[in-house]
Order: sequence, then structure tokens, then C-alpha cells
Amino acid sequence: MQRLINIILLFKEYFVLTLLIIFSLILLGSNDNVQIREFRSYTVGFLGIFQDALSVIPNVFELKRENEILRQLNVNLSDEVNRLREARLENIRLRSMLGLKERGDIKLVTADIVGKSLHLLRNTVTLNAGENGGVRSDMPIISEKGLVGKLIATSARYSIGQLMLNKDFRASAKIQRSRIDGIIAWDSGEVLKLKNVSKTQDVREGDIVTTSEYSNLFPADIKIGFVSRISEKSGSLFKDIDVIPSVDFSSLEQVFIVITQIDSERVSLEKKTIRTRK
Amino acid sequence: MTRQIKYLFLTFFLIIIQTQVFKLLSLEGITPDILTIWIVYIALKRGQLHATLWGFIIGLLFDLTTGNFIGLAALTKTIAGFTAGYFFGENKAPATLGSYRFVLIVLLVSLIHNSIYFIAFTRGSDIGLLKAIFQFGLATTFYTAALAFLPMFGFSRKYIS
Repeated sequence: MQRLINIILLFKEYFVLTLLIIFSLILLGSNDNVQIREFRSYTVGFLGIFQDALSVIPNVFELKRENEILRQLNVNLSDEVNRLREARLENIRLRSMLGLKERGDIKLVTADIVGKSLHLLRNTVTLNAGENGGVRSDMPIISEKGLVGKLIATSARYSIGQLMLNKDFRASAKIQRSRIDGIIAWDSGEVLKLKNVSKTQDVREGDIVTTSEYSNLFPADIKIGFVSRISEKSGSLFKDIDVIPSVDFSSLEQVFIVITQIDSERVSLEKKTIRTRK
Repeated sequence: MTRQIKYLFLTFFLIIIQTQVFKLLSLEGITPDILTIWIVYIALKRGQLHATLWGFIIGLLFDLTTGNFIGLAALTKTIAGFTAGYFFGENKAPATLGSYRFVLIVLLVSLIHNSIYFIAFTRGSDIGLLKAIFQFGLATTFYTAALAFLPMFGFSRKYIS
């Protein structure tokens, strides 16, 4: 410190000159006339040359700070990319659903799945649409990819849907190509079974299975899936047909409930006929 | 301390002379700079440090009085005081003040002072760099040096005779 003071005292004239010049320049800088504006432009240009020349020398602290900013920016951009991806998928799904909604003349109610079980023998979903939206039990549930199931219980704002992957689920179905009828059911696993199809009937692997006109509940021609395997067991009159559902139940998030009116006249006639036969 | 107050009063007096009286001596808009002569005198009598400080004070007071370019006279007169301080020598002041050396020092210091002053002062106007130095800077320098003969004769009579 003493050495520094000695140096300052030794060169005191130069220090005083420097200080006074700096102070004068500060005073000059406080002016706002034409001359000063021109000087400022010269100064900025002059300093810019130096800054440009010195910019090749890396500043460790500046690099660290810049690195932190870039990391933060990277995190923000990654988050944004994820959100955009999610939005893109949602957009694709909604467009597909919109296409389905515009396709038919059936009335649909949109519902989000707010609860789901896929590991039981009686798998169900909880939907956020209920009686307030005109939803009733036994109404079919579909998605843009095909049949999902049907409603089995409703409240004012919620409803319970029985998935096709449910031991109690049954639906009249047909092979789209050959118009062969059967009944769709589920035992376990990932595939459905098309039952009551005799060994003589024309069914091939890859055939598309849809709902049939014979159902009281489901509209006709809603896609169920496609035939993945056909086998014949000795001692049985029927084929053993596996059908892979067109709907991926694990990724299902939004569905449509088909607002249907059960044809009570038809139902009562069919019941009466069955009773008469008995 | 008494000397500083005396210098301060003399400075105020010379500023009034410079701004009010010397405009009567104006030739084609050129006036001599009595304040530079005053700074050279301080430098030769008191040394470089005093001359630098007084150069700043005189310049700042002049800026505040004229009020058109605050800081410019402070800057140029600080540099003038510092430059003039190189000619300071112990016990040499009377001999220098009373000789042509005084005029030559004023000439040199005034040249540096006026070059900086007019280059800055004429920026942003239609007056070019060379015109600023030669027409305003050099003319003011020679006019100031000519005026320096008057105190030189006075000092010559006081110190040499």
C-alpha cells in the first residue's frame, strides 16, 4: 500500500492530469449539443474497434455466465419442444376425431376418460359426461379408430363405460368382406374372440371385423378390429377366431358417446317372440 | 491560502476581461486568450501540479460563465497548464517571465490549447478540420502570443532591471 502511495506521489502530476481530464470529459459528456453527439459517435466507433479486437480473448467469467444462460435456455426450449410435440399429437387426434364427427349423421357427445382399469376381468373407464349431456346406459362408446365399449352406469356428470376388454361385453359383429356374422367377446389377454362362426364359413386372416346391423345397441359398420388368427378345434362346430381390436385401450384419452334411441317396439317384439318359442 | 484566494479573484477578474473587454479587440472573430497567459504564468511561478489544477479551475469557471460548452475549456486549459508546467524551474521564473521565452512558451501552450479547443468546438459544423486549426487555432495562438508581450515587458521591468 505504501509502495502504491509512493508511486502515486512520484507521478502525482500525471495522476492529477488524468483525473482532471476524466472529470472534464464527464462534464463534456453531460452536454447535449451537436459537437458532443459527434464526439460520442467517434468514441463509440473507436471503442468498438478495441472491443472487436479484444473479443477474441475469452473471458472465463463471461463464458461461465453465458454457459448458464444457454443451459437455462436449453431447458426452456426442451420444455417447449415437449409441449409442442404434445400439442401436435393432440392436434392429430382431435382432427381425426373431428373427421369422425363430421362423417356420420349419428349424434355424438365428446367425453374425456378420467379413470381407467385395464388389468381386471371386467375393465371399465370413467367418463366426464353424464345424464346432463343426454347420456344414458347402454349407449355405445367409440373413438376415431373404432368401437370402445358401452355405458353401463351414469350419473349427472359422469358415466362408467364397459370396455370391449370385459368378460361381460358382447356385441353383434360381422366380417366386412364376406358379411359373415358372429359375436364379439373377450376372455382375457390382448385379443377379442369372434364367436359363433361355423367352420364352413369364409373367414381369412386380415379380414376387418365391424359391428353388424343385428345389434340393438351398436350402430352398424363401426370398426372393431381385424382377424389375426384362425384355428379349428376338433369336436367343435365353430372356428376359433382371434380379433385384434383397432382401438389401443392403453393410450385412449378421449372418446365419443353415441346418442342412440333404442327401438322399443323392436325390442319388445323380439322378447315376445323368444317367450312364445319357450 | 491567501495566494489561492488572490489567484481566484484574479481569475474572476480576467474572465470578465476575456468575456466583456476582449470582444472589443476582436479581429475577424478572433480574440486573444488572456486566461492561457495567466495559466502559463502560474505554471512558471508555481510548477506543473499547480498549473494543472488551476488550469482546470480557470477553464471550468470560464465554461460556467459562458455556458455554451461545459467541460471543453476545463479540459483544454488543464492540458495547457500541464504542458506549461514542463517549463517550470526553481528560481528561473523571473528570468523566464521577463524574456522572449515567456512569449514562446505562451505560443506553444496556446497552440496546443487552441488546436484541441477549436477542433472540438467546430465539430458538427460546416467548418473543416484544417480551417479549425489554421484559421481559428493558429490565429488565436498568434494573437495570444502577441498579447503576451505586454506582461513580458512588465515582468522584464520588474525582475530584470
